[in-house]
Amino acid sequence: MRRRLPPAALALLLAFALALVVPLSMCVGTSWQPPGTILRGALAAAGIGEPLPGVLQTIVELRLWRALTAALVGASLALSGGLTQGLFRNGLASPSLIGVTGGASLGAALAVLAVGGYAPRLVMEPGAGTVSLLMPVFGFLGALGATTLVALLASPGGRLSVPTLLLVGIAVNMCIAGVFAGIQSLTLANWEASRAILAWTFGTLEDRSAYHAATVAIGLALSLAVVPFVARELDLFRAGEEDARSLGVGTGAVKALALVAAALSASAAVAVAGQIAFVGLVVPHLVRLGSTSRHFALLPLCALGGALFLLGADLAQRALLGEGVLQPGVMMSIVGGPFFLVLLLRNRKEVGAW
Amino acid sequence: MVSLLAARSVVFDYPGPLRALDGVDLAVAARELVAVIGPNGSGKSTLLRCLSGLARPGAGEVELHGRSIEAFRDRERARLLAVVPQFLPALPDVSVDNFVLGGRYAHLSRWRGASARDRRFVALALEAADAADLGARLMSELSGGQRQRVLVARALAQEAEVFLVDEPTSSLDPEHQIRVFELIARTVAAERGAVVVTHELNLASQFATRIVLLDGGRVAAQGTAREVLRREVLEPVYGGQLYYGSVGEGEGERPIVVPWR
Repeated sequence: MRRRLPPAALALLLAFALALVVPLSMCVGTSWQPPGTILRGALAAAGIGEPLPGVLQTIVELRLWRALTAALVGASLALSGGLTQGLFRNGLASPSLIGVTGGASLGAALAVLAVGGYAPRLVMEPGAGTVSLLMPVFGFLGALGATTLVALLASPGGRLSVPTLLLVGIAVNMCIAGVFAGIQSLTLANWEASRAILAWTFGTLEDRSAYHAATVAIGLALSLAVVPFVARELDLFRAGEEDARSLGVGTGAVKALALVAAALSASAAVAVAGQIAFVGLVVPHLVRLGSTSRHFALLPLCALGGALFLLGADLAQRALLGEGVLQPGVMMSIVGGPFFLVLLLRNRKEVGAW
Repeated sequence: MVSLLAARSVVFDYPGPLRALDGVDLAVAARELVAVIGPNGSGKSTLLRCLSGLARPGAGEVELHGRSIEAFRDRERARLLAVVPQFLPALPDVSVDNFVLGGRYAHLSRWRGASARDRRFVALALEAADAADLGARLMSELSGGQRQRVLVARALAQEAEVFLVDEPTSSLDPEHQIRVFELIARTVAAERGAVVVTHELNLASQFATRIVLLDGGRVAAQGTAREVLRREVLEPVYGGQLYYGSVGEGEGERPIVVPWR
């Protein structure tokens, strides 16, 4: 058996790394800012001490919200992945597969289509200083709707079947992709709308504000609050849902809670930062390989690990390629696929061990 | 005699033309070990699923302590009724101790972990099921027979009043087959009830207080071993390729039935 870290040790390690990477990520950008400046700017943003001179304070604040948003988005996606994989007893399940990501995207696109013409300021993010209030709401509704649809269609006779889930997930995602493409095609002539939709699919961490960070934080917090109510239950799900029920698990309630929590955190994340794949798929695997598969520890560790993963990847990308070269969703797709493949090939046996 | 668990005229249909269960009555009281026998596809496992409340009968009723089993919350039901499935997936990184602790779920409070008392129940259950030495092993490392004993241990840790057991001896050697039935008989002696689905007619003959013969989703016969394990009763159901004999004398005499061409 491979060596594994105790969950508490991994949690400390991740928290420590996060405490280093958040400020470091704020130092890196078009211009390097020394940690001292970053610290003073961050304190000023929190209302402590004098603001930095001129535009510097704005730069530091933008970087602060970017870093926090990235960390929170990574945490939400990974937590959602951990919940989804536990719920479906399958390490290949992810927020994207069960429609959370596609549904959120469709919801956001519908928001642009439906209200973009009447109230562009509510959805289109014309520039810094305005925030899209409706995108997260529509994204959440879309995510929940798509996930519910997938789960219901994959539950003939009220019992969720994992092989059916895989197929239904793919089919529903295809349907969503079709409708999504249709909306894109219809809005092609409308530059503002099609740009808003396209930019959204790539995902962005640019120009994030306190509103964005707070939206994701709320989704993440609600989702984390569900953990004590589903953790022990999801452990028992691993031997099959019927077996869990025979032990006294209220499987219907657990499935509903886990599903809502997974949809909630992922949709808040996707609504704020766009489609970002692979975090939700890979991070739970890494935590299981490195430490534990017991959900009470696994799920919070997914959140910590996901925060570090996305923030670290974003930092590395900006340090190597310069600011704004790749959107986080694009970067994750480029790096995430091969990374997951290597992980699978190197740990063929243990990857099954979830 | 007050029954702990009773099925009344239970009907169950899977998709397709055949009824899996066609009006089955079965009751188990304290100190009873009811063996359910019957050919493949006669409805034994379906009956067990209905009795456990995990499958809902199309018609008829299952009552636990005189109350419809559907009226119980899952936790409440699990404190009264334990299921020993025939197989489970291998669960690669769960230790046997933690797996058996799963049997305590219905007794655990949400905000506290397993207490010393829960751990003690786990240890006692493992010991009773002849699996005390397996505690630290991983579920995926166990042989089929070891896994079956661990499943029995988990049900014991559940402290239930009724045990529903699905072919507990299918991957056990003869010695462990006897030990598992002895264990169930001992448990039943402590004011519990058990329904055991089995193909082992001779173990049923030795240990069951009552035998229920299912055929085509109906109860074809029921009674003591001497009443049920007879040529006139079994031949219409199992066909003619059985040899009938007996072991022991007087009160202790038991029929034996062996496949023999």
